[in-house]
Amino acid sequence: MYAFKTLANQYVRFIITAIGIALCLMLMLFLLAIYYGVSDASVRYVRESEADIWILQRHAANLLRGTSLLSTRHGEIIKQVDGVRSIAPILFFTATVNVPDNTASMHLVGYDPSTGKGGPPEMVAGDTLQNDDQIILDYTFAAKYKLKVGDKLPIRDDTLTVAGLCDGTNLFVIQFAFITLNKARQLLGFQSILSCYQVMVNSGSDPLAVAAKIRSVSPDLAVYDKVTFLNNNIHEAETGVMPLLYVVALIGAVVLTALLSLILSVYVLEQQKDYAIMKALGAPTKFIPGIVIEQALMLAASGLIIALLLFNPMLNAVKRFSPTISAESSFSQVLLVAAGLIIISFLSTILPLLRQRRIYPLDVFR
Amino acid sequence: MSSDNKIITAELAGVTKIFSRSGNDVVALNNVTFKTVTGEMVLLLGPSGSGKTTLLTLLAGLQQPTLGDVFIFGKRVQDYRQAELQKIRASRMGFIFQTFCLLDSLRVIDNVTLVMKFAGILPGKAKENAVDCLERFGVGHLKNEFPGKLSQGEKQRVAVARAIAGGASLILADEPTGSLPTEQGMAIIEFLHKSVKSDGISVTIASHDERISKYADRIVHLRDGILS
Repeated sequence: MYAFKTLANQYVRFIITAIGIALCLMLMLFLLAIYYGVSDASVRYVRESEADIWILQRHAANLLRGTSLLSTRHGEIIKQVDGVRSIAPILFFTATVNVPDNTASMHLVGYDPSTGKGGPPEMVAGDTLQNDDQIILDYTFAAKYKLKVGDKLPIRDDTLTVAGLCDGTNLFVIQFAFITLNKARQLLGFQSILSCYQVMVNSGSDPLAVAAKIRSVSPDLAVYDKVTFLNNNIHEAETGVMPLLYVVALIGAVVLTALLSLILSVYVLEQQKDYAIMKALGAPTKFIPGIVIEQALMLAASGLIIALLLFNPMLNAVKRFSPTISAESSFSQVLLVAAGLIIISFLSTILPLLRQRRIYPLDVFR
Repeated sequence: MSSDNKIITAELAGVTKIFSRSGNDVVALNNVTFKTVTGEMVLLLGPSGSGKTTLLTLLAGLQQPTLGDVFIFGKRVQDYRQAELQKIRASRMGFIFQTFCLLDSLRVIDNVTLVMKFAGILPGKAKENAVDCLERFGVGHLKNEFPGKLSQGEKQRVAVARAIAGGASLILADEPTGSLPTEQGMAIIEFLHKSVKSDGISVTIASHDERISKYADRIVHLRDGILS
């Protein structure tokens, strides 16, 4: 009662504080959403592929960073391994393209459109590739550069037509685009190289056993079952720049703790006389700390409510402004932030509680 | 611990209180022996700095004597645990201050019930007691007002209601008329005097206002920390 009334009496300060808390929480929610969004999008291509086994150049472990170059002759050997149903050759390389009034980089994926293996995980507009002069763009890339199905896109010495737009191919700093394997080789200028093979095994065959057989016939290759390869890519996605997001979120949490601690200390200073009166009148030892903790939780809860009300509209606005920002918010993220907020609320009461201990009931008689 | 069927509520036995200020010792009370009993209003008269407030705070168990013993409801103050003293202050003592010391952010009724909450009285009962007490002191109609909207006299009547509502048997009043016009001040003392007689409570008033003398059952003079 007292805790609420002292907050409500200074309602302008209360609202400003709640908004400040909400902004910190929105920052934390936003960074978490980006972290999970990018982590998910970075590996969606691998996760949703039909491949049971991925084969790369020796020492190459993922698609996100590093180079893998294989010869086409490897394919002939792999096809012969017992348990292999089919293989899909893929060629990756990064290219700079001319977009309207600008240039942009994209991660080109050359695949065989006749099998569809190695192609985009999900089409959201247009069609799959029908010939070598077409390209499928990530839809966020297309939105960012205002490209649509049917537009022409100059790449190196060639010009490709946008056949469709796909989803699940946004790596935040770069996006996938899909062309035919023939076109990829042509653009690169090498006809007999590949980046990796996707291998589909016969039904009933154990992918791990097949992978072991491939390793035995081609020890110069890096052979991964799907789970291992997916984990390699997740690990790659979550290292590098991504931990920075956690650091920034942590800084947000520290700022929030300092803000809440400061405002609670101000309340303690302002209520100094009231607390001295309460102590003189016989307030139990835990009564005033209870008020401070209640105030912290009320401010935190108000901030959380504002943050939850504003977060989705803000996220949508950010995505409209910058379509390549890949953010995925979820209830578990909200729970994580709410749990963190409760901890922050308690931490922020430490200084104000120490301050109130130095308020003495005798002060009332002075 | 009784005399003439009156129960001793608080007692100082040979109490000396010395404060250290800027390296110098200041004797606030010097070998004071004093007691309060139920059904009696004691006026502690003395000029500013004579040690009246120090004596009241010792009776309330808010500080410890340098020498001697303080007994509250028959038990040495040093023998109480902190939580016990808090409970006694909330449930068996009432305080009236010169500046009323109401909590401005709470309504009148909440100011009165708060102390009963400290005493562990259930909210329903506390509210009932508070309303009764406020009406008894003529401020029942102001129960939903905030203290800021009350006159000085009304504030002090609310403060008296707060001191008495929880069933306190020892009221300690520090210059209760100091901020009030004469008429209102005397009205407050009359209220207290009636409560002493009707409820048999013990009231100790520290003041330099000699007009209170006519209501007091006993007058004690304090000068330079020495009782006479």
